[in-house]
Amino acid sequence: MNGENLEAFLARLYVDENLRERFLANPQAEAERAGLSSEESAALTQIDRVGLELAADSFARKRLYKELHARPQTFLERIKAVLRKF
Amino acid sequence: MNDRLGLGWRPPLASGILTHQHRVDVIEIIADDYFDASRRELARLKTLAAQIPVVLHGVSLGMASAAPVDAKRLDRMARLVEAIEPEYWSEHLAFVRGGGTEIGHLAAPPRTAATIAGTLKNLETATAIVGSKPLVENIASLIDPPGSTLGEAEWVATILRESNCSMLFDLHNVYANAVNFGFEVQTYFETLPVEHIKALHLAGGRWVRSREYPESRRLLDDHLHQVPLPVFDLLREVGKQVPHPLTVILERDGNFPEIRVLLDELEQARTTLKQGRESGLLRPLKV
Ligand SMILES: [Fe+2]
Repeated sequence: MNGENLEAFLARLYVDENLRERFLANPQAEAERAGLSSEESAALTQIDRVGLELAADSFARKRLYKELHARPQTFLERIKAVLRKF
Repeated sequence: MNDRLGLGWRPPLASGILTHQHRVDVIEIIADDYFDASRRELARLKTLAAQIPVVLHGVSLGMASAAPVDAKRLDRMARLVEAIEPEYWSEHLAFVRGGGTEIGHLAAPPRTAATIAGTLKNLETATAIVGSKPLVENIASLIDPPGSTLGEAEWVATILRESNCSMLFDLHNVYANAVNFGFEVQTYFETLPVEHIKALHLAGGRWVRSREYPESRRLLDDHLHQVPLPVFDLLREVGKQVPHPLTVILERDGNFPEIRVLLDELEQARTTLKQGRESGLLRPLKV
């Protein structure tokens, strides 16, 4: 196991609410569906559920904050941002 | 001892910092905020760096990962380092994306041999592209990273020794993890190779409660509150045991009080560190 798949799965788990719901209902099945090794899947059945909920909430708040405070990147986006103010 | 204490550079604090430059030895600039900086903004940063020592802090490279770090992002860091010539640059021991999904913040990777190997490779790539080794920072986490086979202190210490990178030791991050996951801050600190610790972060946070498990709460490192006492206690201990000068940065990301409140907090840190220095109990050498 090289660890990349597990990180990719965790990233999705932290971000995607539907996946999180399916996963919490059946961690083993969801981990296997994602192609994780049996060791990784077994580790995920022991997941820190309190931590998962709180971390996912915190990441969601951070993403929202970034979206609201992102600075316009392209000329077109800058124009759109100005227009949005009117 | 020539310890230096300073603040994280944030636009709402800028005028306060500039007015009280005699009380701020160093400032830490978030590198990612300037990856797309215009020439004029870069020139302003250079002027600032000529007035006050500057260090750069990255937040989105995702260095602690089994996956390779993005060379394009490293290029932007390299360009900024070249333009500003900070005293050092730093990045977190975190992953921030995986398989194309952006998490949006620092996440603790599973602490395994695979993430150690990946991190070491990434630190090598970063050093080659940027031209200097980053200081690496321990992160706070609300979740005990699934699939971990190593303790946090052991995982961090191995990365430090094998990469020969210096450490930006965030005292609130380790305090938050200690209360969240039930370990002793002191034991963690004793596991770290002190000769690698070059800089410190101080911050505060707040308790967050689980909706699903209302009896459970965790300490969130949000950088929005004052530095709690146990972090000052750890600062004193670090002052006792680390035998070389340190750069100490107070991080505050919002909920900004008046600048004098932050400057007083910085003074409290200065006094506390000095107390540690004066008690001078260096860590006994392990034989
Ligand atoms: Fe920090």
